[in-house]
Amino acid sequence: MRPFRRPARRDAGKTRPTTVLGCLRPGPRAGAALIAAVTAATVLPLAAPQITRRFVDDAIGGAGTRHLAFVAVGYLALAVAGQAARTLTAWLASRLAWDGTNRLRERLAEHALGLDMTFHGRRTPGEMIERVDGDVAAIAEFVVAFLLDVVAGVLLLAGVLVVVLTVDPRVGAVLLAYCVLIGFGMARAQKLAVPSAARSRAAYAALAGDIEERLAGVEDIRANGAGEHTVNRLHAASGRMYRAEFRSERIGSGLLAGTSVAFAAGTALVIGLAAWARQSGTLTVGTGVLLFQYTQMVRTPFERLIDQLRQYQAALAGVARVRDLLAERRTLPEPADPRPLPASGPLGLRLDGVGFAYADDGEPVLSGIDVTLAPGETLGLVGRTGSGKTTIARLILRLYDPTEGAVRVGGLDLRDADPASVRRRIGVVTQDVQLFAASVRDNLTLFRPGLADDDRLREILAEVGLGDWLAGLPDGLDTALGGDAAGVSAGEAQLLAFARVFLTDPGLVVLDEASSRLDPATERRIERVVDRLLAGRTGVLIAHRLSSLARVDRIAVVEGGRIVEYGRREELAVDPGSRFARLLSMVEVAR
Amino acid sequence: MRPVPLVMSRLARSSGLGRYVAGGLLWLPTYLLPIGGGLLLKAVFDGLSGDRTADLRAALWLCAAFVGLEVVRGVVIVTAWAYGVYWWEAAVTTLRVNVLRSILTARGTAATRLPHSSGEAVARVRDDVDDLVQVTDDLIDLTGTALFGLTALVIMLAIDPAVTLALALPMIAAGVLSRLLGGLIRRLHRRARELGAVVTAHIGEAFAGVLAIKTAGAEEAVLRRLRDHNRRRRNAAVKDRLTTDLLDTATDATVEIGIGLVLLIAAPAMHRGDFTVGDLALFTTYVGWLTALPRSAGTFLYRLPQAAVAVERLRRLMAPYEDVEDLARVSGVWFRREPPALPSPPRHDDPLQVVEARGLTVRERLHAVDLRIERGSFTVVTGAVGAGKTTLVRALLGLVPLDAGTITWNDRRVDDPGTYLVPGRVAYASQVPRLFSDSLRENLLLGRPNDDDRLATAVELAVFDKDLAGMPDGLGTVVGPRGVRLSGGQVQRATAARALLRSPDLLVVDDLSSALDVETEKLLWDRLADAAQDGRGPATLLVVSHRRAALERADQVIVLDRGRVAGRGPLDELLEDCPEMRRLWTDELITEAEDPEMLDETPRRP
Repeated sequence: MRPFRRPARRDAGKTRPTTVLGCLRPGPRAGAALIAAVTAATVLPLAAPQITRRFVDDAIGGAGTRHLAFVAVGYLALAVAGQAARTLTAWLASRLAWDGTNRLRERLAEHALGLDMTFHGRRTPGEMIERVDGDVAAIAEFVVAFLLDVVAGVLLLAGVLVVVLTVDPRVGAVLLAYCVLIGFGMARAQKLAVPSAARSRAAYAALAGDIEERLAGVEDIRANGAGEHTVNRLHAASGRMYRAEFRSERIGSGLLAGTSVAFAAGTALVIGLAAWARQSGTLTVGTGVLLFQYTQMVRTPFERLIDQLRQYQAALAGVARVRDLLAERRTLPEPADPRPLPASGPLGLRLDGVGFAYADDGEPVLSGIDVTLAPGETLGLVGRTGSGKTTIARLILRLYDPTEGAVRVGGLDLRDADPASVRRRIGVVTQDVQLFAASVRDNLTLFRPGLADDDRLREILAEVGLGDWLAGLPDGLDTALGGDAAGVSAGEAQLLAFARVFLTDPGLVVLDEASSRLDPATERRIERVVDRLLAGRTGVLIAHRLSSLARVDRIAVVEGGRIVEYGRREELAVDPGSRFARLLSMVEVAR
Repeated sequence: MRPVPLVMSRLARSSGLGRYVAGGLLWLPTYLLPIGGGLLLKAVFDGLSGDRTADLRAALWLCAAFVGLEVVRGVVIVTAWAYGVYWWEAAVTTLRVNVLRSILTARGTAATRLPHSSGEAVARVRDDVDDLVQVTDDLIDLTGTALFGLTALVIMLAIDPAVTLALALPMIAAGVLSRLLGGLIRRLHRRARELGAVVTAHIGEAFAGVLAIKTAGAEEAVLRRLRDHNRRRRNAAVKDRLTTDLLDTATDATVEIGIGLVLLIAAPAMHRGDFTVGDLALFTTYVGWLTALPRSAGTFLYRLPQAAVAVERLRRLMAPYEDVEDLARVSGVWFRREPPALPSPPRHDDPLQVVEARGLTVRERLHAVDLRIERGSFTVVTGAVGAGKTTLVRALLGLVPLDAGTITWNDRRVDDPGTYLVPGRVAYASQVPRLFSDSLRENLLLGRPNDDDRLATAVELAVFDKDLAGMPDGLGTVVGPRGVRLSGGQVQRATAARALLRSPDLLVVDDLSSALDVETEKLLWDRLADAAQDGRGPATLLVVSHRRAALERADQVIVLDRGRVAGRGPLDELLEDCPEMRRLWTDELITEAEDPEMLDETPRRP
């Protein structure tokens, strides 16, 4: 039974797998090719012992050298064909594994990018690399191995059992019972191994996260003369890694040794039975060799199975972690009936008794925030660092949902608005600017090629005062910027962030300490650009300095998560009791 | 010695050569016991096919002995493995520690050696290190299979030299083939690795910049780019895998072909009765195990070039003057106890009188800038955005490579500012500082002895005391990417405290104004000035700022404009004869007068 089809998404046309297995499943044609290759790789080796039996019995029976040579050549041909089939399987399997795991990587990245800031605030980029790429790599390795060693191995095993059962039902029955026993034992043992493998992987992810943070903070460490200390901490983390790995590997090696012993017992059993049957005259020597060869053939797949079990543990741990990540839910619920924000024009903003507390500590960060902005109006938020201005900005951007009250943009509660339209219609420049190891163009458009043509990009760079900077770049818009903002000053990075906002056509703009990295002189240069950006748009401006708030319509003074003064700028200005009026008089004095 | 053998010989010694050798010796029985197994099977089958009535009891005893042999092998495997894990982790840790130590402490600038993203660096420290340890581990495998091969060959030669030779030929062919494919595999592998690093770098940056991406709604575009990178990496990886598999297949095929040849050549002898069924059983058993030899030789031979790539990539993370010797140096590991405590940093015996820089030049950013800072002075570097302020202090501190220029400390030349101008001489609070996912105490100390009084002083001087009092866990609060969110200003003041804790002669502070309000910045300079008077804080300051509080206090102001000095001297002089200073100053006056924090000077609401 098929579940109800999900409503088609905007980018429909291709189905989008949502589970780990769904991502890994190959297409029908590729699947069929793989099945054919695996079958060939199984059947061909199965035929080989039949030839050796013939050879031994014929040799003992006194057949001519010519006949024996003919049989031997047949064996050779079979052997080469079997190997070719195996290579083909490997090639197909690795293609499918990469396609599948790439889908999984993309799915994970998509899901994780969709999670909200409460999730990202707690994770380092290094940890995310490990979870989006590292865990999946373990799965990829396993998928190839699974197809080659597990599926092909199990098929070969089944083939051997069927053949041996037809050759000698008694020996076949014993071999079957014995294989079932081993299979059962392995399944039990594997349950034992998975949790310790998971712990070992977690220790590894923590280590990778640590190293990533330290490599990202190289200058802080060097400038503080803390290099040797950091090395010592790596030693301690490596020790934890060793202890987790030791426990996990002890179980893995026990499994390997156990299977090896069990296998030898199986071989001994079959040979013992053959010796007994031979003595009672119901079995030829050739059949004895055949049975022996078949039990030998069981060994390789079994050993590979166990070998894979270690990868399987890692992969299973990987799958579990992938599932965990996919199970992370947005704390921002998708609206049941998403309604788009008005597609053009300025958007009104209304904060209605808004309060906010982080879910983990419940400590209120904001309470009782009331703000009303008509479309096109601008609001200046003033207050000390940590007073809650940035949180207000994040609520307006719907990076968080308020715990009390509602944020309405364009008359729509953001919780009911189509998230895509929220991103399109609300723009922001924040304090920290992340640049990518990509071209200037990609850094501006954030990889959206259709967003603007090169002329528009140049125009915008000139507008934000980066025209000279662009002219100085060796390859213009194609110049690759280093990641981690290498080669770009903090102020230039901030200007690039401005340029990013200019590219879209938001109806509401949030400038969160946007000018904080800019010198007054440069700030003046772009002030008129900010003016142009705000013309015909609603704006929320946060700055330590009032120079960029000089033309706002309303002012809210924030202190300790509350608005302690709020009103129209000109009304506050003529009210001698207001903080704002006192501020203005100070400005006059300074001028 | 060539790089890879050198690294391997060092890695073998990473936890003491004894452990590697002992571990290797422990493994050997697992390779050699199958020899006995083959002989037992030969006896069983000769019994089965002999003319005399097979002695069932003897056959069963032989079978029991066969199982017993495998039990011994199992016990050895478990023991050797447990032993081997220690060696493996020690080897991995040794390489990682050496690379990290070089990045964090070697002379010269670290920034130029690191790849674009820290994600890519992590990938190197993860995969390349694993490659090198793997190849060293493979050596034991190779030795074991070679020993088995030699013994098996001697036994087989004694039975039938012609058949044995027929077996050896395809294996030699496989060995030659793997040598021939070596260059191709190396190229393909390097390409797959590079494209893999591109993927991890992209993921890392995407999550580092997740706020920008989300607020721009650029998730789809970032994912599309990820898809492109993924596709390129997939194509390279499949090719890489295919060539490796072809090589594997070639070695596997040698066994099958070998058995075929045994049958072909043994046919007349078998016909005559010189070659028994037991011999056939022994040969087919040994051939199965013998495959391990070309396989492990092949694996080793194809991993060797990969190891060469890994060594080269890791070496590029090290300083130019360091070589492979430094990469693989046996530096010890501490898995079961604490690493040795660090010696307290020696109190340097050359207190700052004057630090001087001449002709500091950084391509396209800084042009022949001179700087002179005397003990007890307060120097402010100011200028418009992109004027080169940050570049100047970073060049002075050796954080960006100089294209020209000299630096002297008390008139003695400083060869490597990056390792000389560090605590206790100089401490630096950068513009975009980082805290690590750890307690605040650990973040401030970073290896300094834990001294509550000194911590309290540094925290107070950095105007971080009030923030700290507001944190429920105080200095125990876990901050950084995986901890409590601190505001930009809090991070900057915490890093200022971190610098002050190091009692430097010279404190260098890059622009604090991005996250500090005027009032707090003024308070910071006030406290630092007082501390300089009574010796609780650094006597000499070099700061980047455009704030009045800093400029008015300055003994000398250095005005930069597009990488060149536009003026230098006390503020009042500059205001008279430096137009750039006048322009900056006017802007700043207006800005600060408008500053909302001035509101706080009025009485608060009850």
